[in-house]
Amino acid sequence: MRALDGVSLEVRRGEVYGLLGPNGSGKTTLIRMLVGLVAPDAGEVTVLGARMPDLAVLGRIGYMTQAAALYTDLSVEENVRFFAAVTGAEKNVAEAIDIVELSDRRDSVVSTLSGGMRQRASLACALVHQPQLLLLDEPTVGIDPQLRVQFWEYFRTLTAAGATIIVSSHVMDEAERCDRLGLIRSGHLLAEGSVDDLRRQAGVDRLEDAFLKLSAGPAA
Amino acid sequence: MNGRRVLAITRRLLQQFRRDRRTLALLFVAPLVILALLGYLLRGGGSSPAVGVVNEDSGPVGGAVATQLLKSSKVSASQMDRPTADDGLRAGTLAGYVLFPADFSLRARQGVIAPEIHLEGTQPGPAAAVVGAVTGALQGALASSGTRVAPKVFYLHGGPNLDSLDYLGAALIGLIVFFLVFIVTSVSFLRERTQGTLERLMATPLRRGEIVIGYMLGFGLVALVQSVLVLLFTLYVLHIHNQGGVGLIFVLVALLAVGAVNLGIFLSVFARTEFQAVQFIPLVIAPQVLLSGIFFPVTSEPVPLQYLSNVLPLTYAVYGLREVMLKGSDLSTTALQVDLLVGLAFAALVIALAAATLRRRVA
Repeated sequence: MRALDGVSLEVRRGEVYGLLGPNGSGKTTLIRMLVGLVAPDAGEVTVLGARMPDLAVLGRIGYMTQAAALYTDLSVEENVRFFAAVTGAEKNVAEAIDIVELSDRRDSVVSTLSGGMRQRASLACALVHQPQLLLLDEPTVGIDPQLRVQFWEYFRTLTAAGATIIVSSHVMDEAERCDRLGLIRSGHLLAEGSVDDLRRQAGVDRLEDAFLKLSAGPAA
Repeated sequence: MNGRRVLAITRRLLQQFRRDRRTLALLFVAPLVILALLGYLLRGGGSSPAVGVVNEDSGPVGGAVATQLLKSSKVSASQMDRPTADDGLRAGTLAGYVLFPADFSLRARQGVIAPEIHLEGTQPGPAAAVVGAVTGALQGALASSGTRVAPKVFYLHGGPNLDSLDYLGAALIGLIVFFLVFIVTSVSFLRERTQGTLERLMATPLRRGEIVIGYMLGFGLVALVQSVLVLLFTLYVLHIHNQGGVGLIFVLVALLAVGAVNLGIFLSVFARTEFQAVQFIPLVIAPQVLLSGIFFPVTSEPVPLQYLSNVLPLTYAVYGLREVMLKGSDLSTTALQVDLLVGLAFAALVIALAAATLRRRVA
């Protein structure tokens, strides 16, 4: 079975690109491919001008996995400081923790934090070295709506500063916040464009209907 | 107490075992393998200790006892002259030799049976076998009672003051450090895999060599502190016999610890859960405990097992530690040089293996 088949997409600098698709559609595989953890059987992956995997480019990428991958026996600050040290960005530690609003919990051991706080700490680890490209694999899964709004505020702050964000999601209201979207199902890229583009393409008013209509196409 | 609820738990456990065939296989197969190994080790017709017989007796009694001794099944005795026997003892090819001095017959007639027994002295098992065989041969050759048997025992290394702890302690220092460091590293590195942080590290500019060396330094540091503690305790609290340089012992133990760290990283690839990592104990540790010469000298094992023993890293650490602590060897000793080189080679091999498991692009 192929996790991805014939996917070809381009992401523009400074935009928030959403990968929208149901669970198991290949979003995570695509993101792992972008960081060079999976090699495509055919074709190539170019990130920030270099073919992946490329160590220099990895230093300019921030990657946040689906589950908050943190050292649960370390404090928030120790975690962020570790990932900062790996990318040579120790001076940004306080700022990164501040962005995700965990300054008052910086000394808390991760295992004592709530799921939402862990997710925020994980984001801080991904953005501490001020990456030009941020890859976020379902960053808002399992966090409450209020925090989700906050996350999107962080994302917009980052893109305003020139960063590009690729975010995967299976939640429609989140997808609507992206500049452009790629609809993925069963490893195929079904449609691509802004929310308006997709709605127009499908001839419907709601993104959800557009998604259902477009994904009922030939790939199904 | 509700039987249905109790059975629900039991059934769930059995279902989980069905999914984890490896644990099940280990549970059933490992004890048989370990017992079979032990059985073969102890009853597999292992080579009996090599013993030299030197007969300088001017009378007939020495020759009679020597004949008995050559027939003994406890030791494999062969006749030789004294310089050859001394060489054999020093080279470790002989566990000991029996010398019947020129006045052996003369004194036997006076009622005192006084052979000399020269022992290599660093291995308790063969030493006991030699003394036992000599006693047996004396009884076989001299049926008459009323004589006093007074063998004079000489030790090349160690001496009569060495007890089991002295023999085992030297080797156990290596085993303890190897075992604990291996378990801690493999579980800790496995956690890095299961909690997703390794994936995250792979998406940073970290090179795999940097990860391996970082781990090696971190765990190595803890392992070194552990080694120092173990050494201080064995030397100054247990007063285990040591004739060699403490620095050399430390180098041997440190090499072993570095090897164990990297073996742990390498083998953690083959485990999905911490539970499975613990299963490496019977697979990796148990055979080494039996076959590395800690309890049973490698030279007394059945020959096929000796080949196996000779590829186990712990074997060389055990040799090396005994070489230093019981024989007082230093770096000019060839045997110790070999042990150190093998330790280095093992460490280098597992470092390479550990680094190889951290290849990027592995799904």
